[in-house]
Amino acid sequence: MEILAKVRGLLSEQGRAALAGVVLFVLVIIGVVTVNGFWSLVNLRATLLIASFLGIATIGQCLCALVGGLDLSIAFVVGAANIGLLRLVNGGIPSGFAIVIILLVAAAVGGVSGAISSHQRGQTLVVTLGVGTAVLGLVQILVSSASVSGGTVEGTVPGWLQGLTSLNSPIFVAPCVVVWLVLAALTIVFLRRTWVGRGLYAMGGNQRAAERALVPTRTLWVVVFSLSAVTAAAAGMILLGYTGGGYSGVGDPYLFTTIAAVLIGGTSLVGGRGGYGLTVLGVLILTVLQTILSGFSLSAAAQEAILGLLILPLVALYVRSPHPRMQI
Amino acid sequence: MPELSRATSAAKSFARRQTSLVTPTVLFAILFILAAIRGAGLLTANGVDGALIGAAPVLLATLAITTVAIAGPAGVDLSIGPAMTLINIEIVIELPKAGITGPIAVFACAIGLGIALQVLMGLIIAFLRVSTVVVSLALYLILDGFNTVLLPEPGGSAPGWLANWGSETRLMSPVLYTLIGSFVLWTLISRTTLFRNIRLMGADARTAYASGVRLIPTRIGAHVITGVFVGLASIMYTGLLGSADPTAGTSYTLSAVTALILGGASLAGGRAKGLGAVLGAMDIWLISYVLGTFNFGLNASYWVEVATGGVLVVALLVGAFLANEHLGHGWAGRMLRGNRSH
Repeated sequence: MEILAKVRGLLSEQGRAALAGVVLFVLVIIGVVTVNGFWSLVNLRATLLIASFLGIATIGQCLCALVGGLDLSIAFVVGAANIGLLRLVNGGIPSGFAIVIILLVAAAVGGVSGAISSHQRGQTLVVTLGVGTAVLGLVQILVSSASVSGGTVEGTVPGWLQGLTSLNSPIFVAPCVVVWLVLAALTIVFLRRTWVGRGLYAMGGNQRAAERALVPTRTLWVVVFSLSAVTAAAAGMILLGYTGGGYSGVGDPYLFTTIAAVLIGGTSLVGGRGGYGLTVLGVLILTVLQTILSGFSLSAAAQEAILGLLILPLVALYVRSPHPRMQI
Repeated sequence: MPELSRATSAAKSFARRQTSLVTPTVLFAILFILAAIRGAGLLTANGVDGALIGAAPVLLATLAITTVAIAGPAGVDLSIGPAMTLINIEIVIELPKAGITGPIAVFACAIGLGIALQVLMGLIIAFLRVSTVVVSLALYLILDGFNTVLLPEPGGSAPGWLANWGSETRLMSPVLYTLIGSFVLWTLISRTTLFRNIRLMGADARTAYASGVRLIPTRIGAHVITGVFVGLASIMYTGLLGSADPTAGTSYTLSAVTALILGGASLAGGRAKGLGAVLGAMDIWLISYVLGTFNFGLNASYWVEVATGGVLVVALLVGAFLANEHLGHGWAGRMLRGNRSH
């Protein structure tokens, strides 16, 4: 146990980034050695594309983790945005306008989760779970006047949206990967260079001290959850182009993989430590791992179980609380 | 009349202590009247027994996670749904392979498996010192994945004596006896020293430690109690379903957690009542029953989702409001006092 504590003490921000980088490198080596065709352009481009979906959906989870919360509504918002966009576009609304509507609604939904949980931070998980469930159910009822069966919505997906996730683009990677990288850069600059971004770290590190330093913690909490829903909705809409049809359960894997990516990157779930740069590494590690596991022809269910097993040692490293005798 | 005023003040203090039960009780009354009006068959022996087996799994699941919620910190057990699913598969598929189909053996195995899963979780929580919600999240993934690997497609049929539970028409049925037995067990357990220590540990682990409560055995004790009820809930679930299903049971996580919150449990630890859990679970079941009487067709399950999520959020808001009033910080209290405090 003492050794664990020492190891943890060594893990500064740079240390964690280096550790995550090494893990990613080792995983890629394992992939190259064990999986046939891993180091091919086709596979690398596909892996990056899959990573970009998770990466965009995880921006919000990373912000939530930095202020010491967790957003369980991401999966539901992804699904709701996915079928919502298809319904709006097929209802004759111009796609640009439809996207703005969805993003605004998502911002409002996230704001509601944030506003309710800002008074009872301990119940954030339950609030986001409740809001997410209710919203997805409501969107499904609203959408169902079109053709729905088992959560699948039929309709025509706009061509440019499919082009966003197409591997046959003139640039090396799918355009969606570029979108992710731009959003990632913006998030990192936002967190490091802006007053609001530093405020989020202050809140996560010490709530009371942040309040004394005149950081508007309540407002920022609401803003963070609002942003989380917006990035989740963006991921859901991009996924519509990838799958070519609406499906309300498309976000299901993101319920826990967003949390896992944040954890694997080394951002503490109790707040104040980490950042989106680390989370990008976490997203890449997770996606490469999933590619390797698929290469071993493991089913999605088996992959899920392995992911669960992976979370435990990570939380042991990063989110251990001290023994009560040390807190007296 | 000093006796009268003493009685009134005693009644008042009792009422104040029970504020957490106000929301689920009021909701129960409203839903029960709605259910009685909309579903004419509910108040017959047949209807009551259908209600019992329908509500029993979520009822016992909520009662199960109540102890872990009391033990804190952040004691939401998200793994309850997949855990019930695993025991369901064991009862229907794996145990008959070993020749275990008799009632006593099945009860023993289900409860034993429930305890084993919970003790494993308790050990991880105690030694890694990570909150219950994170550990149970990992366990949710592990079990949910494992269930589908174990049984890719729904199938099988429950042992004969258990399969009859879902179509029972008598009022005095094994379902009722098992439920009554579970409540008696809960009442006995909640009066033990162990349970008092669990409460103290959940309310304030430092105080508990300083008062000589041994934290690790107490935590394991909490998980053993939870495990017993997880086993009972799984048996009820198997009786209701009559077969095995690798995914259907996972939704019990959301219903049980919602019922727990609705029943006035605090996720900070230390505060949760068995009676609240039972009322909350009855509310959850009544919501889906009442919604089922409307003709929503294909949308029925979505309406249940909307109602469950909505009720969960509203219950949290009302709970926060009542807690605020209880401390005298609320606007209603200020208005009554003529707004002198500010």
